[in-house]
Amino acid sequence: MGASNARCSHPIEPAVLLDYWMRTIDGVTIESVEAHLFACDDCGNRLRQIEALVEALRELAQSGAVKVVVDSRYAQRALDAGRKVREYAPPPGGTVQCTVSADDDLLIGRLAADLSGAERVDVAFCTMTGVELQRLVDVPFDARAGAIAYQESITFAKGAPSNTLLVRLLAIEPQGNERLIGDFTFNHTRTIPGPPAWE
Amino acid sequence: MQVELSDADLARNIANGSPEAEAAEAELCRRMWPRIRLYGMRHLRSEDAAEDLAQHVLVLAIEALRAGRLLDPEKLAPFVLGISKMTMVDQRRHSSRRERLLEIFGPGLKPAAAEPSPRIDGDKLTRCVAALKERERSVVMLTFYEEASGTDAAASLGLSEANVRVIRHRALHSLRTCMGAGA
Repeated sequence: MGASNARCSHPIEPAVLLDYWMRTIDGVTIESVEAHLFACDDCGNRLRQIEALVEALRELAQSGAVKVVVDSRYAQRALDAGRKVREYAPPPGGTVQCTVSADDDLLIGRLAADLSGAERVDVAFCTMTGVELQRLVDVPFDARAGAIAYQESITFAKGAPSNTLLVRLLAIEPQGNERLIGDFTFNHTRTIPGPPAWE
Repeated sequence: MQVELSDADLARNIANGSPEAEAAEAELCRRMWPRIRLYGMRHLRSEDAAEDLAQHVLVLAIEALRAGRLLDPEKLAPFVLGISKMTMVDQRRHSSRRERLLEIFGPGLKPAAAEPSPRIDGDKLTRCVAALKERERSVVMLTFYEEASGTDAAASLGLSEANVRVIRHRALHSLRTCMGAGA
């Protein structure tokens, strides 16, 4: 094969390139992928796009800026890695006083509830008058864990004014009916100096 | 119009020590550097280590080509891949020889016009991640937070290994489409 800036006639599937990069493919496939990549800049360039995307996602994930449901050991792993983690776990039906400081890396809420029997769970974020502001639809959960943990965007929290948030765990029945599993109140006090990013 | 030499032509020119050998060596570096670097990034996960590997492999490849040790010039790409693999294995054992070779060949193996890495719009990526389904976002963030397969973390979210893989593929497909990279 010669110089290969031309379009590849047999491009490697993006899924295979991703698995190659993520090291989740077997040795035989690795051999064939690497042989191809050493002779094909077209596929090499597509792998570089994946490399760049993966690196950007790694930075985004580590920034703590994404609101996302996480697993129960996530906070501990972050602590073990030297991150500064703030975690709040209000009792079901109860309230927790919370804040965030400028040097916090991650902010985690832990919502304990009996999830047995639930097939689909939504997490709704509401005002104290019950107005729904945001909903995480069909979140992943392990019923045996007895809790759902989520990461609040640390960027959002650092910019937020003092406020109170009602978080509701809702089981969605097959017919579409909602069943309240638990509600949790987060009473946030802004302690970072300076004005909030919004009022 | 300038016709780009084939890999085999490059290998022959270097082996023959022809007047074009120097230009062929430069072209070999330009052509192979990104491929070796990418291989190094995949295995070493370090920009410095990957560039170091690329430099070392090119030194060995040029030395071998000059000495006529590539019997079939058509096999230049697998030949360089083979050197890359061996170098990964032998890197520590032969560190003194490697340093000596780098002294002889100098640091000029990295092509001056090496292509910059593709740029990702961080704000746009944040919006695209926010638009993912919850399971997709959880799998993607847990996978890339620690740059692991994500299966352990996902297992405690009630997802199987196979499920994680499917969700991650779907999410990455959505992200690439959202970012405008195509499917």
